[in-house]
Amino acid sequence: MKMNTTILEVQNLKKYYKPHGGIFSAFTGKENVIPAVDDVSFYIKEKETMGLVGETGCGKTTIGRTVLKLTPATAGKIIFDNTDITHLSAAQFRPLRKQLQMIFQDLDAALNPKMRIKAILKEALKVHRRLSDAEMDRRISELLEMVNLKKSKLSNFPNELSGGEKRRVGIARTLAVGARFIVADEPTSALDVSIQAQVVNLLRDLQKELSLSYLFISYDLRVVELISHKVAVMYLGQIVEMGMAGRIANAPRHPYTAVLWSSLVEKKSNESIKNAGNPNESQWGVFDFERPSTGCRFAPRCPVYHANGHPTICTDPATSPQLRKLDAAHQVRCHFPL
Amino acid sequence: MTTGPILKIEDLRTYFYSRSKQAFNRAVDGVSLALKKGETLGIVGESGSGKSVTALSVMGLVTAEPGIITGNIGLKTNGVQKNLLQDIDDYVKLTRDNARSVAVAKDNPRWQRHVDKVMRGVRGKEISMIFQNPKVSMNPFSSVGRQIREAIMLNTSINNRKEARERALYWLEHVKIDSPRLRYDNNPYGLSGGMCQRVMIAMALSSEPSVLIADEPTTGLDATIQSKIVSLLGELKSTVGVTTLLISHDIDVIKTLSDRVAVMYGGKVLESGPSKEILSAGQHETHPYTAALLASIPTARQIREKSYLQAIKGDVIDTVNLPQGCRFYARCRQVTKQIKMQCKHQEPELREISHNHKVRCWLYFDE
Repeated sequence: MKMNTTILEVQNLKKYYKPHGGIFSAFTGKENVIPAVDDVSFYIKEKETMGLVGETGCGKTTIGRTVLKLTPATAGKIIFDNTDITHLSAAQFRPLRKQLQMIFQDLDAALNPKMRIKAILKEALKVHRRLSDAEMDRRISELLEMVNLKKSKLSNFPNELSGGEKRRVGIARTLAVGARFIVADEPTSALDVSIQAQVVNLLRDLQKELSLSYLFISYDLRVVELISHKVAVMYLGQIVEMGMAGRIANAPRHPYTAVLWSSLVEKKSNESIKNAGNPNESQWGVFDFERPSTGCRFAPRCPVYHANGHPTICTDPATSPQLRKLDAAHQVRCHFPL
Repeated sequence: MTTGPILKIEDLRTYFYSRSKQAFNRAVDGVSLALKKGETLGIVGESGSGKSVTALSVMGLVTAEPGIITGNIGLKTNGVQKNLLQDIDDYVKLTRDNARSVAVAKDNPRWQRHVDKVMRGVRGKEISMIFQNPKVSMNPFSSVGRQIREAIMLNTSINNRKEARERALYWLEHVKIDSPRLRYDNNPYGLSGGMCQRVMIAMALSSEPSVLIADEPTTGLDATIQSKIVSLLGELKSTVGVTTLLISHDIDVIKTLSDRVAVMYGGKVLESGPSKEILSAGQHETHPYTAALLASIPTARQIREKSYLQAIKGDVIDTVNLPQGCRFYARCRQVTKQIKMQCKHQEPELREISHNHKVRCWLYFDE
């Protein structure tokens, strides 16, 4: 693959949320924070797609939002196109904003129900550039062609469109302003398989045509593997494994990645990993963000930890695993990689 | 063991009147299904194909103002045959013209009362349902244990609180909830999505129904939790042996769990038969829609080679303006010159092409 320049780099990004403590915590003076994103670093090159996978609540969407400065970062650095955008003010950031766009997860919430499709696209065009009416119309029909949307839909309201069409409008809107980097937050999760395939193909076509870079957030592992060049797997706010998509999917080194991939119903034949899954079911899906277990956060659910007879290195806070390089393009956060 | 199906749906039609469009939305348009004892029947289809409305019609839950429903739903339990839509014609009348419904006359309040009367003792007791969103389907102000206990006391012969509690704990244990005695007192918001779904399943099973309807039981859960729920449902199938109508848009889930499958599109069943035969891509003759649906799932090879997905072009059919011919015609790729006119102008019948395997497609008519 031809190597391009880095378009986005994230260094040690942290996003902590402070829950509403109420009157009681004011007296105890205890500061409880939820580390939604905890020390995450990665980079995305031009024309590259990075997939971000993980379970609900692991911080995928928070990363997407923080990178686009939709929510301020607690610590760390976000560098877009050699500019540090972490601490730019809204006015300073405005010229860059059009290059960094997001495709939102919720189809219905992202489109104003009282605006016709044409008005929605027009608004996006107007915000960043001043165009004459004729130019505007030309640009809109150009956009429609790009996302394969019928012209007749322009006069419709969002609720008159199907899920796939709404998604196309969302994509067209990000393209309207001339985005170069797009955070796609679960773009296919609310769609049927047949429509999902259309959207995935569209996103890949657009990437080739317009040299876009994506941060593709999804819990659909197959789609992520298909569309991404590299994949980062997240668990409780941390990246536990990162590498080329094919490697992560076919030869995962972190136990969590293995569990995640084996959970695909289709790949049920992979019984060995499945059976190694944690017998203690109550741990599944119940995360206590406020008190992450000491040491490795995945240890309570980890099949390797249980198989190895609960080694203390996994739970000791002093030796909590760091993301380390296995080779040039593969990093893993585990003491006992598979 | 009784012969014949437990639940038999014949020519079910559920329409909704759209005032703005001055036309009927034919959500379910002549669906016939039969469910034998102990088997799991899967219904797959895209959103808007009428899967959920079929289920809601069976439960007698489509009584909202614009809903219209006709057909037969036969339920046979303990040797008693019941038609859940009996005398429905007294309240709802459809006038047909050219086999298309054109007018409707109905008596809503009386219909509502009538449905409640017929469904009493059936809903929740004979047929219970697992809904798509477990957290919304439960009372947030009551502990999950109490809600199950309530269902048990209402729907079974147990009417002693203590006994009902033990029974509830038994079912919580059965759906593999860890330390059920502790969880009994949890409110739904204290449980994760996967656990809530388990509680829902426990609640549905606690009344020991003859038929269980599971409407998208795995949708909206994480991949890891999804596979756990699927294996739980698979286990319950062999241990409890409840007859299940499983609705999902996830083909993998249907393939894993169901014995037979019905593929729905635009309110009609396009194909029905053994699920292994129909849902194993490319190995058997299937309806073009099923084939296209299977092809749009990324396969291991496509992922490896990063090739394009085979999308079905166009959008899911609009059930207000139905075409004259085959419903899938506009998106179909297998239309040949010989059958093109038929496809466009005439709707095919559901016809058996091999043992128990029925397809609604002109490709399989030899004349």
